[in-house]
Amino acid sequence: MTRIFTYTCKFALACCVIGIAATNVAAQAPVTGVVGDVNKRMVKLFGIGGFKNLPSYGSGILVSAKGHILTVNNHILNTPGILVHLYDGRQYQAKVLVREPELDVALLKIDEEINFLPHFTFEGAATKPLAENGDWILAFSNQFKIALRDEPMSVQRGVIMSVADLRGRRGVFDAPYAGEAYFLDVIACNPGAAGGVLTNRKGELLGVLGRELKSTSTNTWVNYAVPIQATVEVQRLDVKAGKTVTNKESIVTFVQKALVGKYEATVKAKREDKGAYHGITLVVNAVSSTPPYVEELAQGSPAALAGLQPDDLILYVDGESVPTIKNFREAIKAYEPGREVTIQFQRGNQLISAKMKLTAQPKAPVSK
Amino acid sequence: MRRYLPAVAALFVFTSLAVAQPPMALKQEADRVAVIARVKPTVVAVFARGGQGGGTGVLISDDGYALTNFHVVAPTGPTMQCGLADGVLYDGVLVGWDKIGDVALIKLLPKKQGQKFPFSQMGNSDLVREGDWSIAMGNPFLLATDFTPTVTFGLVSGVHRYQPPAGSGLLEYTDCIQIDTSINPGNSGGPLFNLKGEVIGINGRGSFDKRGRINSGVGYAISINQIKNFMGHLRAGLDSDHASLGALVRTEAEGFGIGKTNVTTILDEADAARRGLQVDDQIVSFADRLISSDNHYKNVVGIFPRGWRVPLVYSRGDTRKEILVRLMGAQRKEIPDTTKPKVDPKPPKGLPGKKGPQGPAAKFYVARAGFANYYFNKLEKENLLAAFKKNGDFSTVGGDWKLEGKIRLLKANFPSDFVAEIKDIKVGASEKPTVILKIGAFADTLDIFPGDKEVEISKRRMPKGSGGFMPALYVWKHFLTKGEVGLSECIRGGTEPFYPPPTDNSVPKEWAKQRVDTEVITSTMGNYKTKWFYAKTDQKLLGFELRMQEYNEDPCEVYFSDYRAVSGRQLPHRMQVYYEGVHYGTFTITSYNLK
Repeated sequence: MTRIFTYTCKFALACCVIGIAATNVAAQAPVTGVVGDVNKRMVKLFGIGGFKNLPSYGSGILVSAKGHILTVNNHILNTPGILVHLYDGRQYQAKVLVREPELDVALLKIDEEINFLPHFTFEGAATKPLAENGDWILAFSNQFKIALRDEPMSVQRGVIMSVADLRGRRGVFDAPYAGEAYFLDVIACNPGAAGGVLTNRKGELLGVLGRELKSTSTNTWVNYAVPIQATVEVQRLDVKAGKTVTNKESIVTFVQKALVGKYEATVKAKREDKGAYHGITLVVNAVSSTPPYVEELAQGSPAALAGLQPDDLILYVDGESVPTIKNFREAIKAYEPGREVTIQFQRGNQLISAKMKLTAQPKAPVSK
Repeated sequence: MRRYLPAVAALFVFTSLAVAQPPMALKQEADRVAVIARVKPTVVAVFARGGQGGGTGVLISDDGYALTNFHVVAPTGPTMQCGLADGVLYDGVLVGWDKIGDVALIKLLPKKQGQKFPFSQMGNSDLVREGDWSIAMGNPFLLATDFTPTVTFGLVSGVHRYQPPAGSGLLEYTDCIQIDTSINPGNSGGPLFNLKGEVIGINGRGSFDKRGRINSGVGYAISINQIKNFMGHLRAGLDSDHASLGALVRTEAEGFGIGKTNVTTILDEADAARRGLQVDDQIVSFADRLISSDNHYKNVVGIFPRGWRVPLVYSRGDTRKEILVRLMGAQRKEIPDTTKPKVDPKPPKGLPGKKGPQGPAAKFYVARAGFANYYFNKLEKENLLAAFKKNGDFSTVGGDWKLEGKIRLLKANFPSDFVAEIKDIKVGASEKPTVILKIGAFADTLDIFPGDKEVEISKRRMPKGSGGFMPALYVWKHFLTKGEVGLSECIRGGTEPFYPPPTDNSVPKEWAKQRVDTEVITSTMGNYKTKWFYAKTDQKLLGFELRMQEYNEDPCEVYFSDYRAVSGRQLPHRMQVYYEGVHYGTFTITSYNLK
């Protein structure tokens, strides 16, 4: 009975999804009105960059009539005079008021007394549910610096492929934001797109477009946006108590507090990301090409259990050649705890292959 | 378990609501499917002969003309193979190209005479807005070995986009359409349709950056309105050049206000300079589009062929003025380099590294410098001259002409009588082309082809102040009665706007309102270079310009109107003459005496 019921439920859900898909097809009505409306609430940003594949331009979102701008917390802001182009071609300079590295956003303010700009508001936004998989979206940005002055932003349309945690890991791909994200089927995260707008088809703000993000292991790119109401944990120094406290913040709370000058600075938490634990201590990495000789093994560690011994020379990690200590560390960093890797090593004139099951980092160092 | 029931009920309600909506969706889908089915037969898979490389094209006329990219036909050479969606492969030949605009026109050869090709209508790309839907069709990655086009669907991401030239000044995308509709290598030259199935652009390029040469969500299509400006040039087999104003501009943001685009440098030989444009003048509008950024300026200039006249509004201090500017070329040098020896204008057949004409289409290809395919220039010229013949047969009146009437000169209070005689005076065995013009009591006699050319050029701009109306009369009569005989060159130009002044010779408030589209022929007789303007609608000769040097000179402009029949021949009874932007005078003809 229960099983039948579950099936009914699933069937209903399936119908539901089909229904949504059908209405998405109906989304053929032009969105030109919405596009013009959103464009007025956006700015083109120009700052520092132009080297190392880093663009000197970006996109921003107006969040107050006075010229407060929400954008991505990236390198282009590291200059005293950030140039802003409004939708009508007017130019201003802006300064950074406050940044939130955990959300990867910053709030800027145009350096002039104005009070007339069209902008996005955040009232009630915090309690709005997140958009869902399959929802139809529009992405607006000044990718590739196609637009200058009064030329409108580029608009693209797509769907939300999934709403999931963005978990960038060093060694595989280092994401500047770790939290719930919208993953998009449209190639929206091009150079200069970060800080752009993700809306639904009514032009309502859903999120802030993320940066260019590529997995170095698969050479694929992912396109994401940070939902405005997604919360992350931030660390603040409590001076009186003399310790750090953890708070939750979202883009909505960040903007609401920052607009009235009440967003307290946070400290960037050091992400504990040492990769998985193997228990091998290698010889001193004296020169850049020091080969990965085993110096010591922690008792009961995955490597010890796999049968490695001091003075073994590690040659391959899962078939990948690791001629230097650096290569070995990079190779092993890519694995998560729980993964079994094949280690091939040389002992005397023997070539030995062993399986090593990695674990989580132990709380306290097992041995030095 | 019971607590799940309301949820299930709710789901079902939602589902039924969702299902209740699709009729509109289904209709839109059906419409879209119908449009795609209708335009699909017009999409061309373009291949180099032998199948190495290629792109896409789209048929735009039932006699087999198809648009594609210059960068598609550059590697194929002047003949190519073209597959249609029904699987039939046709031979194709290059007609014309626009290298800077990255456009080429090709022609598919029918399998049998009179065969009609399916074709797509061209839309109006100025009506396209960001947020509109678009359909791209083509042959990405040259996947379709049976020539069935691939369809992609997406949003117009931006309009009036500017993308700088990609290599050696060519392939500059001005005023183009940006799309998120997926286009990839092989889509090049293919059509971008609106939802009505009209061609609004030709897909040709994308922003790629780090992601390799595949779709990155940012593609560009050349706007069809730009291509329409060049269509006459393309059909005439020309290697067309784009326009430049002959001035550099910079947009300044004074006080962080709205951008002002000012002239920073202007060439002396630019027509704009002769019309009064100076350094520091602000360009307000160009061809009726407001200018407030460098990109705007490049967009507007970039859509016109060299030699077109467009209105330009500039402001200096408190004054604002509209002028009509002849545009210079962007690609080739305006001033011929006389130090270099003259080279044979015929390029060697089959340029190095490029394929010469091959196959059955080769007989429709004639190589000549300055042309993509001279064959089509000759064809279009002959078609135009044949169409002009409906205005009467002038070949039987090649003798002396006498025109009588009245002229009111610019500064005169009263009109005077005039008599113009166009004749070849016998001097021994040869004939001396002569024009005698008598205005009031004063008569001028001009020897049209005196011996010493260098000295005489300025003296031949007679009557004084007209820029050369007397030689203009002779060249006109000669062209009407003898055609190409005696001309050193006669080339079909493209389509150009022509601006007949109001018949009362007042300065119009907006030149754009005077615009008439014309078909152009240029001819050279001695050192008289003439540009003839024929109405696109009825091939009537609306006027011409006569120059005595190639560049850096204002022509004598003659505007014909008040056409009436004179013994079966249509002749203008009003000739308005302008020189250096000033009205010289209007000749009102009361009698023609043609022998």
